[in-house]
Amino acid sequence: MDRSINGKDPIEKGNENLLRLKVNGQWHSFKVGTDIEPQHTLAHVLREKLGLTGTKVSCDTGECGACTVLVDGKATLSCITIAMSLDGHEVTTIEGLGEDDVLIRAFATQCEPGYGTAMQCGMCTPGFIMAAKGLLNENPDPTEDDIRHALSGNLCRCGTYPAVMRAVLRAAEMMKEEKEGMK
Amino acid sequence: MKNEKRVFVPRKKRENIGTYRPRTEAWKKARGTGNYSQDLALKRKYQDMVYMRILKSPYPHAIIKSMDTTAAEKLPGVVGILRYDDPEVAAMEPFTACWTDATNSASNIQAWGCKDRRVLSDRGRWVGDEVGVAVAAETTEIAEEALRLIEIEWEELPFCLTIDDAMREDAPIIHPDINPESNFLPNTEMWGPDIFMDEGDVDKGFAEADEIVEAKAMYKNPQECALDYWNCMMYWTDDQLISISDSYAVDQSRIFLSDMLGIPLNKIRCISPLEGGQHGRGNTGEQPFFLASALMSKKTGRPVRYFQTRQEHFHDTRTECYLTVKIGAKKDGTITAIDFDMLGNAGAYSDCTIGEIKYVPPEWLESMLAGIPNLRFTGRAVYTNIVPASCMRSIGNIEMNYIFGLGTNMLAEKLGIDEIDILKKNVSGVGCTAPDPSVVGILDEGAKLIGWDNRHAPGEGEWIDGCKKRGIGFSLNNTWHTENQEFRRGPTQVMIKLNHDGSVIIDAPTVEVGGGSSTCAVLAAADGLGVPYENFHWIYQQDTETGLKDVVQSDSSVSLVLAEAARECAVKVKEEFLAKVARKWERKPEELDMKDGRVFVKAQPEISQTIREYYDSVDLWEEENLVPVTVMHSRPIDDKSYGFAYMATFAEVEVDTETGEVDVLRMVVCSDGGTVLFPAGAEGQLTGGQCQGLGEALYEEMIYDEATGIPLNFNFVDYKFPTMADYPDIDPVPMEIFEGHGEYGACGMGEAAPCCTPRAISNAIYNAIGVRINETAASPVKILNALGKEGR
Repeated sequence: MDRSINGKDPIEKGNENLLRLKVNGQWHSFKVGTDIEPQHTLAHVLREKLGLTGTKVSCDTGECGACTVLVDGKATLSCITIAMSLDGHEVTTIEGLGEDDVLIRAFATQCEPGYGTAMQCGMCTPGFIMAAKGLLNENPDPTEDDIRHALSGNLCRCGTYPAVMRAVLRAAEMMKEEKEGMK
Repeated sequence: MKNEKRVFVPRKKRENIGTYRPRTEAWKKARGTGNYSQDLALKRKYQDMVYMRILKSPYPHAIIKSMDTTAAEKLPGVVGILRYDDPEVAAMEPFTACWTDATNSASNIQAWGCKDRRVLSDRGRWVGDEVGVAVAAETTEIAEEALRLIEIEWEELPFCLTIDDAMREDAPIIHPDINPESNFLPNTEMWGPDIFMDEGDVDKGFAEADEIVEAKAMYKNPQECALDYWNCMMYWTDDQLISISDSYAVDQSRIFLSDMLGIPLNKIRCISPLEGGQHGRGNTGEQPFFLASALMSKKTGRPVRYFQTRQEHFHDTRTECYLTVKIGAKKDGTITAIDFDMLGNAGAYSDCTIGEIKYVPPEWLESMLAGIPNLRFTGRAVYTNIVPASCMRSIGNIEMNYIFGLGTNMLAEKLGIDEIDILKKNVSGVGCTAPDPSVVGILDEGAKLIGWDNRHAPGEGEWIDGCKKRGIGFSLNNTWHTENQEFRRGPTQVMIKLNHDGSVIIDAPTVEVGGGSSTCAVLAAADGLGVPYENFHWIYQQDTETGLKDVVQSDSSVSLVLAEAARECAVKVKEEFLAKVARKWERKPEELDMKDGRVFVKAQPEISQTIREYYDSVDLWEEENLVPVTVMHSRPIDDKSYGFAYMATFAEVEVDTETGEVDVLRMVVCSDGGTVLFPAGAEGQLTGGQCQGLGEALYEEMIYDEATGIPLNFNFVDYKFPTMADYPDIDPVPMEIFEGHGEYGACGMGEAAPCCTPRAISNAIYNAIGVRINETAASPVKILNALGKEGR
């Protein structure tokens, strides 16, 4: 990953008590022991320090997936990730996807017959969208089995799974159409 | 993308109600910009906030003899300590932690439970019981550390975990203040007699029967597992007590706090934004931790934040119970007598057990078996030292359905009659006669879709892969509520403001927990007003200071009462606006109408203006147009019954006789909603309900270590509920047969959604392998045991 800014690597050696995190395209710097504590999770830093409350905390033990964000493009459980272990890394949260993001659009508009809406209480929704984003980043044309497997770590007690499946498939389809439209 | 699912078509075509649309709050939820209580109660917003943790009893039954908090007080970062023997704590009255929709729980007007709760008791009654002492500190970790530094002398008492142990002669008495004689919840005026319903003469009815079946079953204790967890943040200004929480009943929350703390209602402000899942026993703001937080905040002068960890959120389970049924019937399938018995495990506190065991089963009987001349229902419960039981989605119904559907399945087999015909013959509600058109319509549709007529005899299907067998099963239940069943709520209040640019603000107050009631209200208002659905802004944060009384999210009634009220309110707004236009256009108001935000002359629709164009055409001070058209409307609830509506789940399963695993292949769920207000929402609720019911049928129960009373599976790994990998093919089939009161005459659809699923799956398992598993969860071990494969 190229971290250079103006040709320089911003991460210098010898700054172990600094957490430098690029969140949704913007670098932030936290001093460990002052701004944050060693035990603070990424979820806590995102929500409490940066006010990015789109990432939800539910189980806080890595079991439900509600806290999923992307770290260096990969779906990651932010509630069990120690923030200071991510010095120099890139995080994308639901806020970083942009309002027009294809997955956000697909989830929000899902209402076709036979499946229900892609969210009900909505608490799991940002986590699902981020996990799906991680999947589509690696596999832009997933099968239903691929989607089931990638999202099996995201719990939804309201039971929106069939609608989530449709939303992810539709997002993949929309991505393909938009790519072809740009050719 | 192809869609081969059934499309719902409404009986009556309307512009918004009955059409497939996204949720009104969908974008907020998809973008992550909608706030839940955890997003409001942040330290970055309330910088002097402290975190409170409460001691959890390490023993299933023990008394605190002494407590030394000196070391804890000295720990840097500790801001306040509240003990059970502090004067302000000891002065708090006992209460019941059980909501009562539209009434308060503290003064026990129409309250359900026994007053067995205290703010910080000196007695632990289950491992995990929050008792004795609370600590507020700068961080959660410091508060936890402080609790560990508190020295407590406990007197351990004998304990009991099961119904059977709690009933023994020598069982320890868990609530001597409530019942000094035994662990049975006492026959007070509130709890009522053991035999709660006794119609006709059941013994005579059984004597008249040609055949009798008797069945026993056990329904275990699943937990809601909502992703949102119970929490609050409380703080005092010089004027008010403010509470921010996930309570789904803000007005009731303030009534409770007012009663318990002795503060006037207008000095309490309860705020709830979006809520992350209320599956039958959400937070209604009457938990002990609310009071502890309020007292701690008073003591420390700081905002106090309390939230449950995921482990702590495993409480207030469904009430596990033993169920028996005895059914007597004639050869032609007419039921002559039926006798039900329910014996529940209330756990350490009664909370809403009374609903699940006592109050709701009779409602089920009135909706399902009102035509049976001889009917008896006995309901009892015992206290034990396990997690407090309460209720969950399909309260009281899912258990009655589980045992009744077992009985009718056995009866059908014994009589050689199709179970569907037995239900059509016998199921009806008060004031109705069997065969009920809703029962018939639901069963016929579901039977057709699953291929009921192609079923084989139990265990007689073909072998698949040498070791698997398939089967189908179903169950029928009433869906609820109808409007009259919600009479105790009182009127529904809605306020609508039409702005001069055609945009609308609607205060249709309810905490949106995911059921879609807010969307139903907006759809109805859009129809009533004649303005596009997208023009509406729904106030989604409920606030007892600034908003109207919220409609409590229970019993699947909110959508229907809110939609009726919202539509009527919108019609009034339209009338007021049309009157203005009529005066400007020099016509009579009845000549005009509005559609898609355009006002037009009915006889000459080309004469039209948008709302904005009208306001641009007049000086704003004409017609009082500086003030948006604002109407507050209160709609009373109709107490007349218009009958009942029904729903059914049909399931196809595949059982692996080598591993005991059950694969649910397909589910069809038919549900009569009267008018299906929000089809995508209804289909979502029906689908989601199958996922929940599937979990209760196959995976979900509390597991305890018998020696210590320690719960073993209070987390999302060991307590399993269905994931993305587990959901089967589900066909949600909303239907419109019932006709209730009002413009829509709708009936609830969400609460009942999982109701038939455990029995349907259980009957399907029987159809597949010819043996019955009469206990939830039907785990592989239980299935292998039933197949006689113990020890393999």
